Amino acid sequence: MSGAGPIDLHPVFYPKRVAVFGVTDTPDRVGYNILESILYGGFTGEVYPIHPRHEQVLGCKVYKSLEDVPEPVDLAVICLNQYATVEAVESCGRAGVKGVICNAGGYRETGEEGHELEKRLISAAEKYRLPIIGPNTLGMINNDGNFYSTFYPMKIPRGKVSIISQSGGIGLTIIHMAIDEGLGINKFIGVGNCSNLGFADCLDYLENDDSTAVIGVFIEGTSDAGRFARTAGRVARKKPVVVYKAGRLAATDYCTQTHTGSAAGSFHLYRDILHQHGVFTVDSASELVAACKALALQPLPEGNRVGILTHTAGPSVVMVDRLVPAGCVIPALNEETIRQVKRIIGSDDPPVTLKNPLDAAGLGFRRSTYGNLAEAMLADENVDLLLAVYCLHKTWELPASELIAAHEKYKKPLVVNFVGNWLGCRPDQEFMQKAGVPLYTAPEKTAVAAAALVHYGMRLKGGVSCDCK
Amino acid sequence: MTVNEIISLAAASGRNLLFEDEAGALLETAGIPVNRCRVARDEEEAVRIAVETGFPVVLKVRSPAIVHKTEAGGVCLNLLDEEAVRRAYREIMEKARLVDQEAQVTVQPMAVPGVEVLIGMTTDPQFGQVIAFGLGGTFVEVLGDITFRLVPLLEKDAKDMIDSIKGSVILKGYRGSMPVDTAALIDIILKVSRLVENNPQIKEIDLNPVLAYPEGALIIDARIVI
Repeated sequence: MSGAGPIDLHPVFYPKRVAVFGVTDTPDRVGYNILESILYGGFTGEVYPIHPRHEQVLGCKVYKSLEDVPEPVDLAVICLNQYATVEAVESCGRAGVKGVICNAGGYRETGEEGHELEKRLISAAEKYRLPIIGPNTLGMINNDGNFYSTFYPMKIPRGKVSIISQSGGIGLTIIHMAIDEGLGINKFIGVGNCSNLGFADCLDYLENDDSTAVIGVFIEGTSDAGRFARTAGRVARKKPVVVYKAGRLAATDYCTQTHTGSAAGSFHLYRDILHQHGVFTVDSASELVAACKALALQPLPEGNRVGILTHTAGPSVVMVDRLVPAGCVIPALNEETIRQVKRIIGSDDPPVTLKNPLDAAGLGFRRSTYGNLAEAMLADENVDLLLAVYCLHKTWELPASELIAAHEKYKKPLVVNFVGNWLGCRPDQEFMQKAGVPLYTAPEKTAVAAAALVHYGMRLKGGVSCDCK
Repeated sequence: MTVNEIISLAAASGRNLLFEDEAGALLETAGIPVNRCRVARDEEEAVRIAVETGFPVVLKVRSPAIVHKTEAGGVCLNLLDEEAVRRAYREIMEKARLVDQEAQVTVQPMAVPGVEVLIGMTTDPQFGQVIAFGLGGTFVEVLGDITFRLVPLLEKDAKDMIDSIKGSVILKGYRGSMPVDTAALIDIILKVSRLVENNPQIKEIDLNPVLAYPEGALIIDARIVI
């Protein structure tokens, strides 16, 4: 946002009094859904729906205009069409509102005329130094303040991860994947067209937001990419930032232009420049959620040496493929660990290959055996973090409490890949994640989670890089 | 001349692409090693400069109307004696005068072979000034083996650029060839970064090729857009 000094965004994310423009009594309209979202989300502040003709919607008294609202409001959610939105922003500025969410599309993304309209919207807001979330946005959620302002009423688990998304559809994808992963969300910011509040402004805010520990970003493109990269790099020195950049082909440029009014820009530049600034990048929404989950739950490793314990080889092959290019190394186990493994398995010449990844094959099913092997690997001074692969089985159980105990004993990060379906794995996922150990059902996600931990372990803890194979 | 004076001179004559000798002078001011070329106003001067420079030399056309010099028949390499210089001068000028009566030539020493790399700067609409590094020729054009960093660069960024291209094995000595002086390349990258950071009126720099040697590196062709 232009003008002198940064704007205080606290009243926008933690409003006490909220006005909602364009509330209607028709459930298929955005104005209705936003009010429903705020009420359903359990907002404890005051809500003032505004509509010139309605008396009451969803049990709330409706005000004719902002002037009729008895108290000054912190935030206005504007669910009007793109033209009426500009006028409403002007009236919010006059009334001393501290921020607005503009849901309507129909601006820059539609072409020349829309671009002119967006310029009018921005100048109306800037006159009063009014930050805009959007326009062209799904909205905003602050789960830390029970404030849900999207046109998809929902209630989601609270956590330490905040998401900034340029797209509503991918924003929802991330939110629902997070629910499936058992990952709590703190804030969701749909930046949409980034008219006067862009990625860098939101990162600046979240940097100092104590309830946010990890930040996930979905970006298509931004005209202010240099500032975005520098800010992401600076914030990532304090709390991990994970970026998923879409719009990778020249052909996608047209789609992003007509989606959020921003050209996608060169993916190659984004990849290289985010790397330059030490920001961890991923290649899909599911990787974004996986990486954020591990970073939110686990301590950071002291180095980049990854141990893998499994009783089936395939997943470890997939993991190594992903880990090594990300700067991880797969170290040899030390001799003491090898002795321990032989002792645990009960044979001096066990029918397993005594190396890392350690594939215990058929001997690895037994709960106590697997738990002891995990402990032996975590005890190994060559291992900075451990990935444990186990398969869902009718008879054998995931040694959940043994794994948690081993993790707590050695204080080294542990990530579990439980090979199975979501329903079958869900109880163990909940149990383990309550103890801070992330559990995934796919080796690719497990590997990206480990890569993210190693990336920020090296960056934030100044971990030692090891090239040994 | 200072960087600003060189740029102002080109701007005053309505050119946004610097002549190679101007680009060379500008880079030298920034402490970047260039295979310096000198302007010859006629055939006799071309010969005199060639003798002073020492054979073999290279002659290139110098004209705002001719951007792609090689394609326009405006480059003659490895000229071994006075006679070769005279012949090359006439050939170049014959073609050049068809499009530009004012065309001139530049004379520069023929550089000894080295590993060809590219160092560039482009102004991206989203990021602004960005530095590029890659191996020269087909590696960049066909294989896209190039890496970018945002200005300003730190020393670790320049080092990382050299390590992160696929062709970095070639720079580090491959099948018995000597490793090149990567410190010299890092030095050029950092100087280009500082140059464009201090002179935002420079929109584009294409140092291609830069010849990297076991000791040192030298810019053979420089294209600078303001």
